[in-house]
Amino acid sequence: MTNRKGGLSKVFDYFCNEDPFAEGLSPCPGCPLELALRLLGKILGSQDLVMTGTPSCSNPVMTGQNVGAWHRLTAYCTLMTGAAANATGLSRQYRRSGQDATVVCFNGDGCAADIGFQALSGAAERGENFIYVCYDNEGYMNTGVQRSGTTPIGAKTATTPVGPKQRGKSTRRKNLPLLMAMHRIPYAATATLSHLEDFAKKLLKAKEKKNEGLAYIHLFAPCPTGWGVPTHQAIEVCRNAVRTNYFPLWEAEKGIFTLTHQVKKPKPIMEYTRLIKKYNHLKEDELERIQEEVDYEYEFLRHLTEFRKCVATKHQTAGE
Amino acid sequence: MIEVRFHGRGGQGSVVASRILANAFVRENKFGSAFPMFGFERRGAPVTAYGRFDDEPVLEKTQIYYPDCLIVLDSSQRDSPRVYEGLKPNGILILNSTMGPKDPHENLALVAMADATRIAVEEIGLPAPNTGMLGVFAAATGWIKLASILAGLEDYFDGSRLEGNRRCVQRGFEETKSMRL
Amino acid sequence: MNAHARLLGCGKKGMLNMEGTEFNKTKIKVITGNSAAAHGAMLCRPEVLALYPITPQTEVVEEISGFYASGELDAEVVEVEGENSAMNIITAASAAGARAFTATSSYGLVYMYDALLQAAGYRVPIVMVNVNRETPGITAVSSGQQDMISTRDSGWIQIITSSCQEILDSIIMAYRLAEDFDIQVPVMVNYDGFYLSYLAEKVEVPCRADVDGFLAPLKDQPQRPILKPGEPMGFGTHGILEGYLELRYKHSTALERAKVKFDEIDKAFERHFGRSYGGQIDTYRTADADMVLVASGSLSGTAQKVIDLKRDQGLKIGLIRLRMFRPFPRERLIETLRGKKAIGVIDRSICFGWNSGPIYVELRALSPEIGYIPMMSFIDGIANMDVSVANIERMVRILQSASEGDSYQKVTWIGMEEE
Repeated sequence: MTNRKGGLSKVFDYFCNEDPFAEGLSPCPGCPLELALRLLGKILGSQDLVMTGTPSCSNPVMTGQNVGAWHRLTAYCTLMTGAAANATGLSRQYRRSGQDATVVCFNGDGCAADIGFQALSGAAERGENFIYVCYDNEGYMNTGVQRSGTTPIGAKTATTPVGPKQRGKSTRRKNLPLLMAMHRIPYAATATLSHLEDFAKKLLKAKEKKNEGLAYIHLFAPCPTGWGVPTHQAIEVCRNAVRTNYFPLWEAEKGIFTLTHQVKKPKPIMEYTRLIKKYNHLKEDELERIQEEVDYEYEFLRHLTEFRKCVATKHQTAGE
Repeated sequence: MIEVRFHGRGGQGSVVASRILANAFVRENKFGSAFPMFGFERRGAPVTAYGRFDDEPVLEKTQIYYPDCLIVLDSSQRDSPRVYEGLKPNGILILNSTMGPKDPHENLALVAMADATRIAVEEIGLPAPNTGMLGVFAAATGWIKLASILAGLEDYFDGSRLEGNRRCVQRGFEETKSMRL
Repeated sequence: MNAHARLLGCGKKGMLNMEGTEFNKTKIKVITGNSAAAHGAMLCRPEVLALYPITPQTEVVEEISGFYASGELDAEVVEVEGENSAMNIITAASAAGARAFTATSSYGLVYMYDALLQAAGYRVPIVMVNVNRETPGITAVSSGQQDMISTRDSGWIQIITSSCQEILDSIIMAYRLAEDFDIQVPVMVNYDGFYLSYLAEKVEVPCRADVDGFLAPLKDQPQRPILKPGEPMGFGTHGILEGYLELRYKHSTALERAKVKFDEIDKAFERHFGRSYGGQIDTYRTADADMVLVASGSLSGTAQKVIDLKRDQGLKIGLIRLRMFRPFPRERLIETLRGKKAIGVIDRSICFGWNSGPIYVELRALSPEIGYIPMMSFIDGIANMDVSVANIERMVRILQSASEGDSYQKVTWIGMEEE
């Protein structure tokens, strides 16, 4: 990939294709979902791209309804339970009939972490040849902001409200990208929209690795409407999620973890939560609890990245 | 139509025996059907299987209430009244034992026996009396040729197991002890 | 056709032929209903299969896995993690152009319910075997058609078979029906768990050349829409207002067309293989009958035996074997049943809320055309209860007394009657 000149950000170097999406898509103002989809199209190209998705915020964008469509892509719309199974069916038939295809299963966290997790885990175990992108907005946004398995502790949603007896969600989020990496699939990675070059690289890597088995990308995608974020600040929320280690950027190839973006001096979680209304109610002790969660998860991940050394040593020993 | 009821226990091969017999009848240009009735599958549980054999296609797909012949693979059931339920007059008992029933059922006309478990242990190293019992069936009833059963085995076994089971059938046939009542 | 000479769902006579797996040689085998289903599926050369085991269907997936391992089946076989995924996989594979297959039973069928409705809504021409089993709770590992009945209004075509040969043959016919350009609706081939799934009998396994030949006309029709990379198309995007209304209308009318089409396919099958099952319904000694029993599935053969017994006793009775439950063969049933004196319907499932059998309820809806004659529902054979000759004789006695003008009870649960 050659660098362009003229002061453009490097992510443009990855835009090898036309944007397959029309102008004026239907997501809410400021929604990073639109950006994510356009990037995906421009980076992966529409030549062999087959998109599949479920009822969600992405659905009207990807499929349109009845007559309209806002893209020039092959798209298959399906149910949340079997999203990964549908991608399996498509990719198997393309493999069998010798058609080049990059099947991308593009779903929200409700599908990936909750109702469609079984099919996703099954596809990972079987080594199906497609890319699964979960855009994580930490809840069921399309149905009006209810909690999901990835809604973090303390977050206020329509089903985890704040009152005298409840203070937002009382349990911690499911660490889905980690769960997927633990399947030791060829490629699992996290990405977000403040670090586009990182996302672009990971998409291309996923496209390559999906020939060996399932490639999974967990895309952190704040929902301005559901979280109470000003429409111009969604990307800022992404950036602060990374800077606070709330959402570290990493990748894992067959269970070998690497941090793709080192945060030298992590900021306190407050720097992230203060931008988001769903955390408005949090008191100091509650913020501390969230900080503990973040610290634990990051430390866990850091230990995983060190595991590489153990494996390397073992292999060397075996070689001797 | 000949109706045969098999009584055994899970692991003895009653179901396979019923199928081999159906296979043998079909090899003689006749018709046969066989099916088992059991609950959850496990070794040691009582198993009942049904076989119907006829010159015409067998239409009934029901259990057998009035058998012409009983094949009892599990000798511990030899005196169980349940086994003899509905047995037709001139009934035949094919029994895996060296010892007949203590008090034979009134409708029994013929009891044919062989120690099919011992034969199986000697020939295939497994206590599976099913194929040996088919040899006894052929010898005692004359309803089916020994050769048809021997030929049918190859749809269910191969290699040394096939050879072993052939010997089981052959020995069951030769070692049959019949007793007219 | 001479009804008396006809044997419902039975093959021709033939000797076992044990020579190798030749391309153009029909083989006689003694196999179970499950094995027949696996053979039928394999012979149709499905391209994508999703397999998940459940009693009493397990043998189907085992045998298909065996065909794959031996090289007899050249396909993508997905050992899936549940039935819901199985249905989703074959739906999507079919949308991408594959001939696809799966098999299930009971809770497996119910577990794929959302995907089952989607498959019908997407009009994918897939074929699925459903081995009928009860559904009231986990311990109900027993026979019954309640699983199929629960998916009655899913928009699938539902075929009920009653012998091992018919299972194999019906799967081949099912692909002809599902993939017909005028139909394009998924087909479910049903057979009774336990009483057929584990029953071994003589089956004529057609050779590949014959099955290829029978399915060949499918290649000569216009191409259905297929989802391909690089050819932008949205699949499954309908959902509201006119677009959806039109889709539902077309789906419903396709099912109407499927009835006559199934009769035609049955005739074509007879020309090709020498076996016929009557299409939507199979009739036995109905022409001059005063009373008619309506049955389906494995109990039909036993019912046929009873008809012969009763005919010998001078009773004018006949049998209709329902082969197609969805679409419901209204026209042919009316034609056969008009002018009869009494009708008895044997159901292996329950229509809750009507306290009667579902097939019975459907037949009652034909009363204006058939005539308001005694029509009785017999519920039998659920929960592995054996539908014996004696049970069917009991039904005939009740039917006979009603046809003679005696008062009668509309619904009889065999085994639950008050003495």
